[in-house]
Amino acid sequence: MTKIISLFILEAVFCFTFFTVSYSDINLIQTTCKKTPFYDLCVLTLKSDPRSSTADVSGLARIVADSVKAKAIATLNQISALLKSVKDPTLEKALEGCIVSYNTIIQADIPVAIDAIEKNNPKFAVQSAADAGNEAQACENSFAEKPSNSPIFSGNKAVHDLSVVLQSIASLLL
Amino acid sequence: MVDTRPFLPVSSHAGSDPTGPSENRRKPMKLQLSIFFVLLTVGFFAALLTSNNGSDNGFVKENEHGSLASPSSEKQLRPVSRGPAVGVSEKSNRLFAKDNENQLAYPWNNSMLSWQRTAFHFQPEKNWMNDPNGPLFYKGWYHFFYQYNPHAAVWGDIVWGHAVSKDLIHWLHLPLAMVADQWYDKNGVWTGSATILPDGKVVMLYTGSTTENVQVQNLAYPADHSDPLLINWVKYSGNPVLVPPPGILDKDFRDPTTAWLTSEGKWRITIGSKINKTGIALVYDTKDFINYELLDGVLHAVPRTGMWECVDFFPVSKTEENGLDTSVNGPSVKHVVKASLDDDRHDYYSIGTYHEKNGTWIPDEPKIDVGIGLRYDYGIYYAAKTFYDQNKNRRVLWGWIGESDSEAADMQKGWASVQSIPRTILFDKKIGTHLLQWPVEEIESLRLKSYEFNQVKVQAGSVVPLDVGPATQLDIIAEFEIDKEALEKTTGSNVTFSCSSSGGTIERGALGPFGLLVLADDSLSEQTPVYFYIAKGSDGKLKTFFCNDQSRSSVASDVNKRIYGNLVPVLEGEKLSLRVLVDHSIVESFAQGGRTVITSRVYPTKAIYGAAKLFLFNNATEASVSASLRIWQMNSAFIRPYPNNKESQ
Repeated sequence: MTKIISLFILEAVFCFTFFTVSYSDINLIQTTCKKTPFYDLCVLTLKSDPRSSTADVSGLARIVADSVKAKAIATLNQISALLKSVKDPTLEKALEGCIVSYNTIIQADIPVAIDAIEKNNPKFAVQSAADAGNEAQACENSFAEKPSNSPIFSGNKAVHDLSVVLQSIASLLL
Repeated sequence: MVDTRPFLPVSSHAGSDPTGPSENRRKPMKLQLSIFFVLLTVGFFAALLTSNNGSDNGFVKENEHGSLASPSSEKQLRPVSRGPAVGVSEKSNRLFAKDNENQLAYPWNNSMLSWQRTAFHFQPEKNWMNDPNGPLFYKGWYHFFYQYNPHAAVWGDIVWGHAVSKDLIHWLHLPLAMVADQWYDKNGVWTGSATILPDGKVVMLYTGSTTENVQVQNLAYPADHSDPLLINWVKYSGNPVLVPPPGILDKDFRDPTTAWLTSEGKWRITIGSKINKTGIALVYDTKDFINYELLDGVLHAVPRTGMWECVDFFPVSKTEENGLDTSVNGPSVKHVVKASLDDDRHDYYSIGTYHEKNGTWIPDEPKIDVGIGLRYDYGIYYAAKTFYDQNKNRRVLWGWIGESDSEAADMQKGWASVQSIPRTILFDKKIGTHLLQWPVEEIESLRLKSYEFNQVKVQAGSVVPLDVGPATQLDIIAEFEIDKEALEKTTGSNVTFSCSSSGGTIERGALGPFGLLVLADDSLSEQTPVYFYIAKGSDGKLKTFFCNDQSRSSVASDVNKRIYGNLVPVLEGEKLSLRVLVDHSIVESFAQGGRTVITSRVYPTKAIYGAAKLFLFNNATEASVSASLRIWQMNSAFIRPYPNNKESQ
């Protein structure tokens, strides 16, 4: 009997903690994401990273930065794969340009953004995030099949939009 | 705050079960599990209820950071096409050459990129630079230090670069002055300022970012005061000398100024910070640069301006045409407070009165207080810092000019950022609210062949080529007179004009735009207009705007295409005057003797090398203008490492 009661209390405490912790993180995630132009994307990205449950705004920015990098690497892999079998020279040129853009995002923009956030000089994170978004856009612009989308449109869009989210969150740290 | 409703009343089964001993054991288990799941479900629903499934009603602050700020729309991924060009005559069509469809995403080749390097603006041989640091004149040399990344063309690993010059124009690179070798500056040897003591010795105060990312102030001084090149520096063994005071966050305490003497014989400095979103300047007094007392209150504060970086505080003479030592005070002196606003990456200044007894400063015109009024420069210009040049009795201003192209291009070309040409600062006696900035006179030593044009008539809607030979390194001085009859005849209107929200030079008014097209190719497919736009109000009053239009400066799609500029006060009887320094990818423009200044970075793909040309243009609909100009070819400043120095960067 006492076993049952103590187990019950344990469960009650567990659910209580689970509930209160998730309630307060949701609040910071929500208020932060409301200040970005892509609320749903922002919330989804943050919630799917366990670090977000204990992160402050700096930490949330870091999570988004990591996500931009991951998406950029995935898109870069896509571009490389397409390059292996490309025949059209215009398409090849666009893809090669995109390699440059994505290398910049992965090797410069995101590392600088993360460094600037860590070192409490967020304006450089804002600028780098803006640049990352522009690099993705430059890549998308370089394909000739305008106005229809490039073969890597979804990658470009994801990286672009997440970069804008990162830019917005980093602005909150100014 | 926490909702405790989820815990529904639960009945517990005590006592025995008629079904037998095994079921006796199973029933409590089932009970536990069901309670658990009930609580979980309730918790889930409660979480759902309390979370706001908000819509995309977020916003991004109007953002001029960096190169191309992204607007918040999905359509952003499509190329943005601008409307058709507006033109009337054959001649004006030439001005509006088709360009929109020719936007190139990746045009950059090494020829274009290497052209971008400047000939006579300060920049290190490679890699990233930002804020000017500790400028001073010492034992016959002008010294310049700067935030530098020795490893890459992007910000990071910041240390102090160093260069010297005899004339503020011909610079020689020296070894790094300070690196991040102490716990108190391990994460950044950031911005600081020099103070020259009465005995001629130099002390440097600078911000260090510690291993814990706390911003602290540190003292450093030359290892050898008899070395005119000040190559080696020593950090005070008791650093840091200042840590963030109570009420100030670890991340909001940086960029100490040059010190000035108080009437009590103490040294006084100011350091920018913020409290919530109010930008402030803290004040400290010291006798030895080691021990400090924080004054009650602040030098000044302005709500909603955010963090004040690179604060500068200095006197200007109301009457004399020379600079003043930072310690000078008196009735014929006004004081300037300047701050670099972290929030919008612009430098703002305001003129006012310094009250020495309590270390406060009051602006003359609160409407144009620090951060909400005048800017040093309406283009790309930040982290500026002045120093008193005791050699020539002037106050000299340095400003960091970042890139406005993509970081991919910066990585490819291997460098990023230049400094503006140093400018003298004077109080604008005629206007009273403005400072005048002008390139230091030593720049005239770079002038080579000159060309003169007298009273060139430029009809409404036309373009006039100016044959000056190569047009990428120029010093241009121009005066414009607008047709007086058109000025009077034109009907005024209530429409407000601003450079940045206008359509650039394709937007024609009765009395503007007119001015120069720099870095333009023959077909004008690439062009950078630097121009005036006169607007007449419904009350008949004229307002003159000074703008720099980058919208067609390059067919590359990954460069800044904004239009910069601001109102420029023009007094009765004043001609419209303009000075433009063109130096490859940088254009510095000064209107009305430096009352309004615009610096921009330009990255053409075609209007480079011999293909870059210069034109006069007038795209007004009613008024003709006449222009008189003197234009010089400019030599290179041959900025290079100090000779015989094995440790140059």
